[in-house]
Amino acid sequence: MLFNSFSFGLFLPITLLLYWAVGFKRIKAQNLILLAASYFFYGLWDWRFLFLIVASSLVDYFAALAIKGSESFSRKKIFLYSSIIWNLGVLFLFKYYNFFIDEFALLFNMQQGEYAFSTLNLILPVGLSFYTFQTMSYTIDVYKNRVTPTNNLLNFLCFVGFFPQLVAGPIEKASDLLPQFSKKRSFDIDQVKEGLRQILWGLFKKMVIADNAAYVVNMVYASPEDYGSFSLLYASILFFFQIYGDFSGYSDIAIGTAKLFGFKLSKNFNVPYLAKSVTEFWQRWHITLTRWFTDYVYFPIIQKNLRSNTRRNIAVYLTMGLIGLWHGADWTFVIFGLFQGFLIVLERTPLTKDRKSSLFHKSSKLSFLLPLFFVLIASLSSVLFRSQNIDDAWVVVQRILSFIPSTQISQLINKYFLIFTALMLTSEILTRRKDFPLSQLEKHIRRPLRWIIYYIFIFIIFQYAGFQEDFIYFQF
Amino acid sequence: MPDFKKILSIFNFSKSIQEFLKYCVFFFTPVVMTYCFLEVLALQIPITFKVVGDYLESNSTKIELVALGSSQVKCSFNPALSHVPAINMASSSQHHKEDYLILKGVIDKLPKLKYILFEVSYMHLELPYHSQNYWKNNIYLNYYGINTFERQTYFKDKLIYLSHPRYFSSKIKDYYFDENKKNGEQLNEFGFDINKYYGSFHKLKYDTAQIKNKYFKIYTHENPDIFKKNTAFLFKMLDHMKEKKLKVIISTIPLYKTYLNKRNPNIVRRRDSVLSEILKKYKNVTILDKETDTLQFTAKDFLNENHLNPDGAKKFTALVNRKLDSLH
Repeated sequence: MLFNSFSFGLFLPITLLLYWAVGFKRIKAQNLILLAASYFFYGLWDWRFLFLIVASSLVDYFAALAIKGSESFSRKKIFLYSSIIWNLGVLFLFKYYNFFIDEFALLFNMQQGEYAFSTLNLILPVGLSFYTFQTMSYTIDVYKNRVTPTNNLLNFLCFVGFFPQLVAGPIEKASDLLPQFSKKRSFDIDQVKEGLRQILWGLFKKMVIADNAAYVVNMVYASPEDYGSFSLLYASILFFFQIYGDFSGYSDIAIGTAKLFGFKLSKNFNVPYLAKSVTEFWQRWHITLTRWFTDYVYFPIIQKNLRSNTRRNIAVYLTMGLIGLWHGADWTFVIFGLFQGFLIVLERTPLTKDRKSSLFHKSSKLSFLLPLFFVLIASLSSVLFRSQNIDDAWVVVQRILSFIPSTQISQLINKYFLIFTALMLTSEILTRRKDFPLSQLEKHIRRPLRWIIYYIFIFIIFQYAGFQEDFIYFQF
Repeated sequence: MPDFKKILSIFNFSKSIQEFLKYCVFFFTPVVMTYCFLEVLALQIPITFKVVGDYLESNSTKIELVALGSSQVKCSFNPALSHVPAINMASSSQHHKEDYLILKGVIDKLPKLKYILFEVSYMHLELPYHSQNYWKNNIYLNYYGINTFERQTYFKDKLIYLSHPRYFSSKIKDYYFDENKKNGEQLNEFGFDINKYYGSFHKLKYDTAQIKNKYFKIYTHENPDIFKKNTAFLFKMLDHMKEKKLKVIISTIPLYKTYLNKRNPNIVRRRDSVLSEILKKYKNVTILDKETDTLQFTAKDFLNENHLNPDGAKKFTALVNRKLDSLH
């Protein structure tokens, strides 16, 4: 069930009514409704994968309890590793197995049938990378005494399966989300209105910005040989805005939906196109994923020797390479991650002994141009992200750098799309200290005008939405 | 009368929830009402699909030929000029998957059906099929009564305006508010637009020198994986037609010289090899290959580089008729 679908438009109010109808004092009943709704929401994609979610939840629930109950350090470790092996094993089997088998065969120049392992015909379960990381962080945190394991299985199942963030995040830490399932949730009308406004803003970004950008991007990337340099560059920049509108729009809808149920989810995007460095970009883009890899990969590597530059650089490359690989089982993603890692290392390296002489230092006179520069870098690296394989990506990069005339560029430009993108950018930049541009509107604008603004957005969404595209991050 | 107060009393709604529900009702009522109004307006417009659907319903016992395909067939075959009772169910961007599902949907409704005309054009085998969410699925369901969703249908699948608000808004605007719309379509009773002359070639007054330098969109990217999939599907489609004892005319539609020159030769070669394979394998299939016929089809027969205008359609339909005569 997609957030921008008719079915979700029916599912959400029904779930919401049932949820609040049982009364805020009956937490267990509310959690049961949430769990049933979440499994229904997920089961509509493929009910068979519900078993996988339940199995993952149970493994981590019991592993965490066993870690807590073990007195010896080695036993705790065994339970931790069991949980990690299970989670990474499932992820590997469904997401990476075929990729590694193919690469292995290619490496040794083997044909199908010549090696013992053959590729599997498996569908990647929606949201697998998201909920696996969430449950894995829970057991690691329990092991490190950062979180007390819960005894309440229902709450834990809800924590893993909570439908607003189940399939595409934000990836929540147990310390932030899990306690919310045991607290009383009261119906706060202001919070609910805020949630609805965030959903509206998310739908605008997804349906008007991302889906319209997708139309042009898909057309150009379907046949890059037919387009000139500027058209390809334009499509690549558009892809940056497509993926931003798509994923940040999804996150807004997820966070807004959670608010309707009295939950608070983490912010996942913070105006990333204002970043003045690649490091800052990743602190503003898919924040919860960057946080996850920083906490569970980067810090554990560097903490043994904080002063070693080599170790830090290796940690950056490894973290960014894994972030790339998290996005998909293809070399394009790995190279994308390593390229980001290279840029981060580059910007950390001073050109002279004066640290401020670093290539991308914020105090540089041209620092106001840095956001533009990083949007361009993000767009160019998104070529790797968008292309089907390395060969296709190379064709695009070659053609962009060959300055081939783009006679057809005007056919790719849609004036309404540009107006709405400008509306999104200016609104987000002007309200960058808020969670989203429509936030707390009632503090500044009276109801009649407020409603007119909502109706205008609904009109724009109806009238100018692109064709329905799946959320890009579902495939990860 | 049911006692709503009593029914609602089983829910434990607090005052703030009741206030919120009231707020929602006030806010969303105009939205829902506006939508219903637009839906009704959209349903009244005699768009091509509606005319074709009506024709299908009222002539189902007579129709002997069904034409399927993309806008190229839609613009090329005028059922009014056909020697046998025919219907043109082609529409823009309609791919083999939709063709097949439409055929399966109409086959039992048409007792006299003998012939199928469809296309295997230049890029047909290398372009991916539409997803299950393809907006025209709603159209096919509403106007033709055919389920192309490949799943059970629901209430939302019947909503026309929602399937493509931008398209229907423009149709509503043209139909209800723009009486003097220039160069508007004139559909005959078969749903064929007999006034479809006003394409890019008309704008250039059919001046071949200007047409030569004009930019147009053409795909040249090779997709071997999609080619394999689409070819397998095409054979499955032909097996079905053979099983139903239908005579099939596979056509390639005339293209203008500039388009022909820009085609990717590998794509053309692959497509042509499939066509020869079909000819060997299926006795019920005949090919009408007119893609490179630049003698009969000149600039004045074209709407643009890859679509015929009604004059070109007249010539093309005559060629189909000749084929039909040979099949009798």
